[in-house]
Formats: sequence, structure tokens, C-alpha cells
Amino acid sequence: MTSISHPASLAPAPSRPVPRDWSRVIAVVAVSILALVVISPLFLLAVASLKPDRFQILGDMGSFRAFWVSDPSLQNFRDVWTFSGALPFGRYLLNSLIILFVTVLGGVFLNSMAAFVLAWGRLPGRAVILTALIALYIVPQESIVLPLLTIVNRVGLSDSFAAQILPFMASPLYIFLIYQFFIQVPRDIYDAATVDGAGPFRIYWSVFLPISLPVLATVAILLGIETWNQYLWPLMVTQTDRARPISVGIASFFGHDSVYWNSAMAASVMMMIPVLIFYLAFQRWFVSSFISSAVKG
Amino acid sequence: MSRMGNRLLRLTALTTALGAGLAGLSSAEAATLKLMFQGDPYEVKIITDTAKKFEAANPGTTIELINTPHDAYNEKVGAAVSANALPDIMELDAPFLANYVWSGFIQPIAPFIDKAVLDDMTASNVSQGTYPVDKQLYAVALVDSTVALYASRKQLTDLGVRIPTSVDDAWTKDEFEALLEKLSTTPGVKWPIDLFRSYGTKTEWITYAYEPVLESFGCDLIDRTTWKAEGTLDGDTCVEAAKMMQSWVQKGWVVPQSAGGNQFYAEGRPAALAWGGHWFYAEAKAQMGDDVVVVPLPKFGEKSASPNGTWIYAITKNASDPALAGKFLSFMLQDPDYRAAYREHAGFPGLKSFAADSPLYAEGGAMALAFEQASKSAVPRPPHPAYPTITLAFQKAMNNIFDGADAKDELSRAAKEIDADIEDNDGYPPFGGN
Amino acid sequence: MSIDAVPAPGAGRRGALFGGRVQEAAMLLPALALIAVFLLLPFLSSFRIALTNERLIPRPVPPRFVGLDNFQNILSDHEFWVALWNVARFTLMVLPVQCGFALAVALILNTKLPFRNVFRGLFFLPAITSMVVVCVIWATLFQYPTGPFNQILSVLSFGMAGPVDWLGDPRFAMPALVLLSAWQAYGFQMIVYLAGLQGIPESLYEAAELDGANRWQRFWHVTMPSLRQTHIFVLIITTIQAFKLFTQVNILTQGGPRGTTDTVVHYMFTAGFVNQRLGLASAVAIILFFIVLIVSLVQRFVVRDRK
Repeated sequence: MTSISHPASLAPAPSRPVPRDWSRVIAVVAVSILALVVISPLFLLAVASLKPDRFQILGDMGSFRAFWVSDPSLQNFRDVWTFSGALPFGRYLLNSLIILFVTVLGGVFLNSMAAFVLAWGRLPGRAVILTALIALYIVPQESIVLPLLTIVNRVGLSDSFAAQILPFMASPLYIFLIYQFFIQVPRDIYDAATVDGAGPFRIYWSVFLPISLPVLATVAILLGIETWNQYLWPLMVTQTDRARPISVGIASFFGHDSVYWNSAMAASVMMMIPVLIFYLAFQRWFVSSFISSAVKG
Repeated sequence: MSRMGNRLLRLTALTTALGAGLAGLSSAEAATLKLMFQGDPYEVKIITDTAKKFEAANPGTTIELINTPHDAYNEKVGAAVSANALPDIMELDAPFLANYVWSGFIQPIAPFIDKAVLDDMTASNVSQGTYPVDKQLYAVALVDSTVALYASRKQLTDLGVRIPTSVDDAWTKDEFEALLEKLSTTPGVKWPIDLFRSYGTKTEWITYAYEPVLESFGCDLIDRTTWKAEGTLDGDTCVEAAKMMQSWVQKGWVVPQSAGGNQFYAEGRPAALAWGGHWFYAEAKAQMGDDVVVVPLPKFGEKSASPNGTWIYAITKNASDPALAGKFLSFMLQDPDYRAAYREHAGFPGLKSFAADSPLYAEGGAMALAFEQASKSAVPRPPHPAYPTITLAFQKAMNNIFDGADAKDELSRAAKEIDADIEDNDGYPPFGGN
Repeated sequence: MSIDAVPAPGAGRRGALFGGRVQEAAMLLPALALIAVFLLLPFLSSFRIALTNERLIPRPVPPRFVGLDNFQNILSDHEFWVALWNVARFTLMVLPVQCGFALAVALILNTKLPFRNVFRGLFFLPAITSMVVVCVIWATLFQYPTGPFNQILSVLSFGMAGPVDWLGDPRFAMPALVLLSAWQAYGFQMIVYLAGLQGIPESLYEAAELDGANRWQRFWHVTMPSLRQTHIFVLIITTIQAFKLFTQVNILTQGGPRGTTDTVVHYMFTAGFVNQRLGLASAVAIILFFIVLIVSLVQRFVVRDRK
């Protein structure tokens, strides 16, 4: 225990290589066990997606057999992908990706720009705006779906990509999140930039954005997941398959007479893969101490 | 030269005629039908195919399909109405028909549907599409539905239990409760019956599947002439019926809500009987084979009762061309492939010709008794515009009763909620016949 | 950096300041405009609807002004107060569980652990799973009486305890939902904490180490204070999210057993979309808004006070 918590400072590192290595192994094993326990419920999803018989999935539910598949098959994935043209999953996937990328790109930009002004700008009333924004986050989506639908129909955006992108790009939640990070940036950085005579946009663009990669990545990831899993709104606003996302497409497997567990599970697994890749790509931006290195430099 | 000229002339004439014909076609018959529907994947597929076939047979017509997930269908209907974005044809859940007709956004459908189809509808199918005020038909469908009892033939035979062969000799209340009692002590049986509490209150299940118990006892969700719930739903007969079902739960005879919907056929068959929709047959058959036997719902009082109603098609008042909408529906309901798809998935017949064509439901078929219920004991849910409130109040009450609440208190509260809604809407005139 | 960098005194400076403000407004406006059109405007319209008896499916009779009737009906409805009490309970339970676990995992993932990126991926998996699927999975885990949780319980207690009807017993339904919700959503707080941890300068830790602080002391005296802004964000946002609890309830329990998992948004959704009473539902949304607003302001006041 002591060897773990009191590292290099007490003794030169090379003199005690063995306990340090062991502690690393123990740490990895411990974290692996924790990770496995935490994600174990998802095995059920993965296992079910490999059982082609939906009645078998039903029969196995509620016991440990739900975590075991004797003869795994990729049939469900093939079926979902080639669903005889009636449910074009390739199309749904493409639609979801388009919505995801535009929303995230625009969202990160617009929200960080607004957060910068709220944190460092000189406009009057910034505190009021910020409080109002946080308050608006309280409004549950379920309560504004109907008026929002009326607005969207009135401006002719029904059944479009725009109707699924514009309402979610700017978000009080993410403005607030970026704001909380921006206000921690040391004053010197901002002052140094103003002395150079840079305008607000320049300071934001070339000083604040580069040192905020972790928080921008966070917003990209969270906004991305939120967009990807949107359900009620796209369901209301899309009519045809033109702009329908995969989340709504999958709901077709939950029918009125029965649930098509085999297809539903396979489609759910497929739906998780793009967003997992998206997350892994962005989490690389979590590089330690951006702000502190900026302070030193 | 002249020959050449002739040819040129002929070609020009032909082109002109063709052009004119095409132009005439597009101006006279170009039409788009918007069709909003929900369904299982096979239904999505067959409806898509049928729409394509109709388009091919009627050049210039386009059918825009608005496939909507089942679990949020009613919400989407509400949203479409309130945003004034209704399609031409919409599918709807039968018990909500009265609410929609009263609200004035669907229209009588009979004038637009082939007479052959209308004459072919079963009595139960007609009743699910009819609005009681003007006695007009507002919706049509190929299919209908029912709930029956499922059991293991072997288990019943081993226990020496009589297996009914017709709706007329359905188990009586005493017989049925004796059977449950006997099953409760039968080795291997964890629960004598699955009432599918696992469907929860998000679906129509509780009202749909348990109302027949009230009906058979001789009461109802609401008085169907005065349209008042108080005095009926909270009357002694209904309370007695609710208490009977509550006692089954309290004795541990009923599969609990969180045990899932598979206990009838899961390994070891923990549940002996299942009170399930006609669609449940396919599930049970897949695991148990020919041992599954279908029995009519018990006769608790003087008469038998069973539910009906499913997803049916109506033409909205927004429809730009109701005749074309009707033409499509007539086409769809008579299309052999459309019928074949439903037959393959054990669709419960709503047309007589479809029944004759469905071995499962025909004389001697495994589900023949379930189909017999449609003509002998089917009772539609109350065709009243307050139905959304009626079903919500009843489901909540019934669920609480199962969870141990006092039956009289819960039913009284439900009755008051229903009557308050009706009063709130000034009695939904012309209902209540002020 | 030439002419602009040496502004003339007086007028030029004021001009730059003015130009800066115009630029600032231009930077703020796009986000605010979108929020105004797609969030504020629809929300404001619910104030109008809340004063009427408007129905989801319009009736033959036009809706009429009913004053504060809807508010009165809600506030005198026992079920509303039960729903409010339920979300308060949910919030109090889910806050420490979800945020505590998220912080712990973030701290682990912020160390120089081997295979760190693999672990970051694994621990984030629940967060990318859609709630519908999560509910399906957990319904199986909670299944009564033979589901995995009950089997584990039986093994751990040598057959003495259980089986427990997790979702069907009024005593356990809410804690079960807390567990499920925390599991699905902790990734959100985890990643926010992870980003917050990147902002702590290494030099602070080095200084603390020189002072002879052990791991535990460094955590309390360096990490926790440096995460102040992150804590504020997480506290306020998690509270708001918890008060909006809906999807899990709608799929799994529909408010049962006996109303013990009913929530304000579920109450609102049922009133509006099922019972079709749009006016009433809008009034619920407004009441919820002000209640949560007060909670948030109190929270902000409390965390600000300690500064």
C-alpha cells in the first residue's frame, strides 16, 4: 500500500522496480474486474443479438441463460441489414450520421462562442442571460414537443434534416458546461491577448479554443450521444424515410403483437458501434493540463 | 421523299399523341395519398409492397407511407391533429374511434369502399368500426382480434379437467376457480395462470383483456345508455369481479408483473394457463408444439364475453380524394399477397372470406374456438369519446387493485375521474342525450 | 500585429471597445436565436395553453379560457404531490450514487493506467446504450423471482433472503430505478469530471508532494478544490436531469406499483398525451419549471456561499 501511494519522491524510482510493476498489474486487474462487472448487463444484449430465434430469446429471458448462446449466428445482423427494402437501415444510418455530424460541428462552435462571450465578454446582462439559459434547461422536452411541431410545420421544415438539427445545435446545457471551464482560464491569458489588440473573436479562436480541447471533446461526445439517441422528436417530425434516423427505425421491431427481439437486439448493437467509434475518436483529446501548459508557456 | 415525309408525319403524330396522353394522365390522375400506419416488420413490408402494386396499377398515383412506431402511435396522431398535418388515410386503434369521430377528423367510409368488402366484414369487425351515434361505418380492416385461454392439453388431461369444445360450454366461474385452485397445488406449477400483467399500463391490455370479465359478470366500464360510470363501474357487480381477480393475485395464482410474459412456455412451464391475445398462440406453439390447447374465456355469470378490436383504417376529413383513398383500401384488403402475409402471421380474421381461407381459424383449426368468440361473445370496448380517460382510469385502478388496494375505493375513484371528464366536456353531446 | 496593436488614445480606443461589443453580440446571437426559437418560444406558448382547457385532439367546441383552474386542479391533486415527492426522493438518491461513482471512475481513468483508452471505452459503454435497450436489459436482471439479481441475492445470503420483486414492490421499485438510471447515465458525469481533471495543473500536485502530502491529502486539498466549477456544474445539471425523470418510468413501471415511481414528467405526459388534457399538462410543465428553478437557485446560492 505504501509502495503505491508514496512513489518516486521518497526513493529513486529505479531502486524498487519490482513492487511498482506488481502494483501496476494489480491495478489493471482490479480495474478490469470493475469494468467487467459494470458492463456485464450489456453481455445480455450482445448474446441476444446472436440468437436468431426470437422465441428462444423470449424463453431465455429472466434467467442466466439470457447470458449464454450455444450456437451463435450473425443471421440477425444480416436480416436487419437486408430487410427486404421496407426498412432501409442503410438509409437510416446515413441519416443519423448526417444529423450527428452537422449538429455536433455546429453545436460545438455556436455553444463555445456563446460561452466565451458570457464568460469573458463585456456585454451587459451576461449574468442574467446565463441564469436564464440554465433555467431553460429545466424545461422537459416532452412538454414542448407539440408547440415545437407547430412552429416547425409553419416554417415548412416538417420531415427534414434541419428540423432535427436546428433545435438541438445550440444548447443551454453545453453553453453552461463550456462557460464553467472558460471562467477557470487565468486572467493573464486573456489580458495578454487583449494587449496584443486582438478582438473577441480572435481571442476566442486562437487563444481559448486551442486550450479547451478536453471540454470541447466532452461537448462533442455528449451532444453526439444525445443526438444519436433522440427518439420522441424525430418520431414526431419525420414522416417518410427521407430523414428518419436509426433510433426511430429500430422502434419498428417493437410491434403491437410481439417484439422482434432478435432483430431489435442486433439493430441495437449495430446502432452502438458508430457512436462508440465517435467517442473513442474524441476521447483522445483528453490530454492533461492544457490550461496549465498554456500558463507556463 | 413522300414516303419519308409520311413517316415523319406519322412519327410526329405519334409523339404528339403520346405527349398529350402523358400530359392528360398527369393532370387528370396525378395524386398523392398519404397513409399513416404502424405495424410489425412484416406488416411494414407487405403494406409497402401493396402500395407499390397499387401505384403500378394506377399510374400517376403516389402513395406516401408514414410508418410510425407502435409505442408512440397515439401521441403521433395527437401531434398530427394539433399541428393540422393529418394524412389521407390513417390507421387507428379501434377503441379510440369514437373519440376521433366525435372530434371530427375522420369521415364515414362506406361510400368509398367496395361493396364486396363491406359485405364480407364479420359482425365483430363492423362493430369495431362503427360510431354508435350515427351508426355509420368509419373504418375497415382485414383483421380483428381476441383473447383466449391457452393450456397444455396433456396437463389438463392428466388432471382430469374437462376441455371445452365450444364457447357455449366454456368453463363456469366455479369450474375455473376450482381449476386454478387445483393447479396451485400441482407439482411443477409455480403460478396457475399468466394474465400478462407484464404488458403494464402503457398498452391497452388491462382494459382490453380484463373488461370481458366485468362483462361476463354482468357489469361494464360505463353504462352504455346514460354514459355514466358511477353506479356501474363502482357497482357491486364490478367490485365483486375485481375482488375475484384480486384474490387470485393475493393467493399467488397469477404471474407477477415483473416476471415477464414468457412463463407459460419458459423452461419447466412455471405458469399452467395463459390468458393471452390471439398473437400469443404463435409464441406458445413455437415452444410447446401441438400440446397447446386453446379454450374460450370462462363464463363468469350469465353470458360469455370476449374482447375484440384491433388496428383499423379510416379516411380523414383532410383527404383530398376520399374516393381514391377508398379505392386503395379496397385494393389492399382484397390483395392476395396482403392476405397471405397476415395468414402467415396468424392474423385474426375480420373478413369472412379471409376466415374461410385461414386453416388456423377454420373449423378444426387450433384457433377455431378463438374465432368462434368473435361471433358469439365479442363485446367492443365502450364506443364513447371519453374512451382515452375511461381506459386510463380503469387500468390504473385495476393495477392498484392487483397491488393490494381496496377494490371499491379504486373503482369509485376511476368512475369519478371518468364522469368528471365527461362533465368537463359537457357530456360530449350528442352523447348522454341531454 | 501592426497598426491595430497601437491604438490611438481616446476615440480609437472607444471605437475598438464598441467594435468588440458588436463582435461579441454577433458571437452570442446565433446560439441565443436558436434557443429562443426552438426552446423559449414553445415554452412560452405553454403559458398561454395552461390557462385554457385546450385538448390534444381539438374538440368541436373551441377551447376556452379557464384562468388558473388547471393550476388549482394540479395542486389539489394528491397524485401530483406523490409524483413530486417521488422525484425528490429519486434526486436525493441518484445524486450521490451517480456522481460519486462517476468521479471515482474518472479518477481511475485519469491515472497513467496501462490500456487506459480501452478502459475509457468500456466504462463509457452504458452511456451510449439507448434507454429503451437499457430498460429491456434491466427488466431481465430484475425479473422476479428467478432473475439474475435474485439468484445472486440467494447465493450471497445462502438462500436466506429474497426473492425480491424489485420493480413490483413499493419499497424497492424506486431504488431499483435509481440503480438502473445511475448505471445508464454516470458516463455523462464521468466524462465531465474527466475533462475537469485535465484542467488541474500538474504543478499543484508537485507542490503538494513536496509538502509531504499523501494521496488522500492530495485528493482532498488539490483535486477536490480544483474541481469546484465542475462540481457546481455537475450538481446543478444532475439535479435538473433527475427532476425530469421520465423514460425509464414510462417503459418499466408506468408509475407503479401503487404510484411509488410516478414522476412529475410522467404525470404531465399522461395528462397531455394519454388523457389529452393539453391545458393541464402545460400547467404541470410550468409548475415543474418553477419548482426546479427554486431548487437550482438554492443550490447555486449554497455553493456560492462557501466560497
